[in-house]
Amino acid sequence: MHFRKIAVVGGGTMGQGIAQVAASAGIDVVLVEVSEERAQQVQRELSAKLDAQIAKWGLTTSDKRAILARVHVTEDKAHFGHVDLAVEAVPERLAVKQAVFVDLERILGPDVVKITHTATLSVSEISQVLQHPERAIGMHFLSPVHRVPVVEVVRGLATSDDTFGTVKQLIAVLGKTCVEVNEYPGYITTRGIVPMLNEAMHMVMEGVASARDVDAALKLGFGLEMGPLGMADRIGLDQVLLWMESLFHELGEMKYRPCPLLRKMVLAGHLGIKSGKGFFVYSDPAGSGQPSAAPGTP
Amino acid sequence: MIVLVLNCGSSTVKFQVFEMEEEKTLATGLVDRIGMAEATLTYKPEGKPAHRESPDILDHGQAVEQILAILSDRDRDGVLTDRSQIAAVGHRVVHGGEAFTGSALIDAKVLASIKECVDLAPLHNPHNLRGVSACTRVLSGVPQVAVFDTAFHQTMPERAFLYALPYVLYKRHRIRRYGFHGTSHSYVYQRYLTAAGGARPEEQRVITAHLGNGCSLAAIRNGRVVDTSMGMTPLEGLVMGTRCGDLDPALILHVMGKEELSPSQATTMMNKHSGLYGVSGVSSDMREVLEEAGQGNRQARLAVDVFCYRLRKYIGSYAAALAGKPDVPGRSSGRTQEPGVSRRRRGERGGRRQRGGRVGHPHQRGAGHRTGHGAVGESEAVRRADPGEPPTASIDPRPCAGPKWSGAPSIS
Repeated sequence: MHFRKIAVVGGGTMGQGIAQVAASAGIDVVLVEVSEERAQQVQRELSAKLDAQIAKWGLTTSDKRAILARVHVTEDKAHFGHVDLAVEAVPERLAVKQAVFVDLERILGPDVVKITHTATLSVSEISQVLQHPERAIGMHFLSPVHRVPVVEVVRGLATSDDTFGTVKQLIAVLGKTCVEVNEYPGYITTRGIVPMLNEAMHMVMEGVASARDVDAALKLGFGLEMGPLGMADRIGLDQVLLWMESLFHELGEMKYRPCPLLRKMVLAGHLGIKSGKGFFVYSDPAGSGQPSAAPGTP
Repeated sequence: MIVLVLNCGSSTVKFQVFEMEEEKTLATGLVDRIGMAEATLTYKPEGKPAHRESPDILDHGQAVEQILAILSDRDRDGVLTDRSQIAAVGHRVVHGGEAFTGSALIDAKVLASIKECVDLAPLHNPHNLRGVSACTRVLSGVPQVAVFDTAFHQTMPERAFLYALPYVLYKRHRIRRYGFHGTSHSYVYQRYLTAAGGARPEEQRVITAHLGNGCSLAAIRNGRVVDTSMGMTPLEGLVMGTRCGDLDPALILHVMGKEELSPSQATTMMNKHSGLYGVSGVSSDMREVLEEAGQGNRQARLAVDVFCYRLRKYIGSYAAALAGKPDVPGRSSGRTQEPGVSRRRRGERGGRRQRGGRVGHPHQRGAGHRTGHGAVGESEAVRRADPGEPPTASIDPRPCAGPKWSGAPSIS
């Protein structure tokens, strides 16, 4: 199958990331947001992110022009035209995702493959609202999408082989490695990383070490690209909390129970890089995400 | 005899049609954005205006089909009456590894060998192969020839192509210098021989230059390449439009650590953010960099100096490798063109020219016409060291000055 144009619903971090890698691979993207105002904001954010990548020599200005020319941000789902497949990347809430799926089936018809981008929710449950759940499947990129080379693909109970084949092909076109995961909460990556993030937060809360030293020990000790707390800040602490609550709820094991410190920070609005403050403070929220010298909370 | 030549990229097919008896171009064109929305076909018959269309083109097979259709469509200024007029197809294939020392008539064995080189040029060879299979389908029975960028350099001796790394890397992965721009160097060399009035290759010491957005030199002795500046990849060697050329290899690991760069970012930095563009901060185009330099932009001036110094150093080292006085024929596109550089050098050095080498037709030593090196666009020139001087005398030893290039008549 040739992918010439795809739809991405939801212009948050992941939606923008998916739009960028698709456009880089030469695919036109309709990126749908909830309002004209939000669509303009997404356009600005995407442009700023590409600038940050140019500053790090990962892209050229002509790459940026080509990407922006292929990503059409709109608030109007009726402007899809023909698309080869659709990805929803709206927040991790079952009802919201189901509503988008119903819309997509109504607008695009039964044949177009619908992909839910989710880290913790059940693909079967999301797609049960569809008349043709065999054309629905789950996909999970890791952030930042343009840098992380692996994608989890999750079949729902009804997903057809043909649908799986289409998504596998898309991932190859995007230049990523596809891993097939059976539907189970957290898949591989979220389930694997959440206990480490939680444990690092507990260590800080219990006064075992400072956030900086916890990160330094785990990063240098195990050859990680970044420490778990820096990673949590980058993912967004509200997002990490959602993952933990979902895994705790689904699997019922204490190792997934969110660290109280995490809950407190989210309530205080300390969400990591995007708010400028998390386990570390960040002088440039839109920039590279380098923690400054001064540690943040606590 | 009519020959179709194809250069297939990931989403592009460039093509030209030649009439070989008179060696003239009948048409040129480009299919762009293959497999994407709004693919375009640009077609330019010789002497007639260009056509630009947006047909549906999903793969290389359809691209070749569209090319053949327009070439034989009288209503769209097609230059063929029928596609069966095409007697042969030539394919540009980037990497021929160690398997190919020249162009090859494509058969199953040749195809298999090209596939084995995919590892060495993963961004190019697969697309070149797509063009071959597309032609096999739609031009069944027409002979196809693969022309390799690397083949001309395959005469290099081991001492020139081996890196001083553990030898096992060469045995396991064929890590070595291959060189690129081989078709261009071969062409320049042939033109040089013609211009030299039938000089015998076995008597020649020649350095050929390809100066486009990518730049490379080849040292040729007795008709065989003995060294070339590009290496395992096209990144090594001269300063180029956006590529850095030679580096201390440890430097890049240091920079990756300091700037927290991924291998992909580091690769893009060296290939697309460096060279004339990276140093000048202005452009990858020598004309624009020179213009800025002329207006007093220090970084632009520095970029030109770094470019010329590296070129001069390479020519000097190849003079040593050739163990004698070389001629330096060059070929350039407009982007890293020579005329501006050489004009600037003439202006700078004034009367010092007599110390250095003299340039001109090899058989008209001292002719020394002070013409430019051609108009903007492709230009060719031969520069020759004075036979009465040692090879180093043809190189201005001052920092930031290029090789001694006095005015040279254009070969063409």
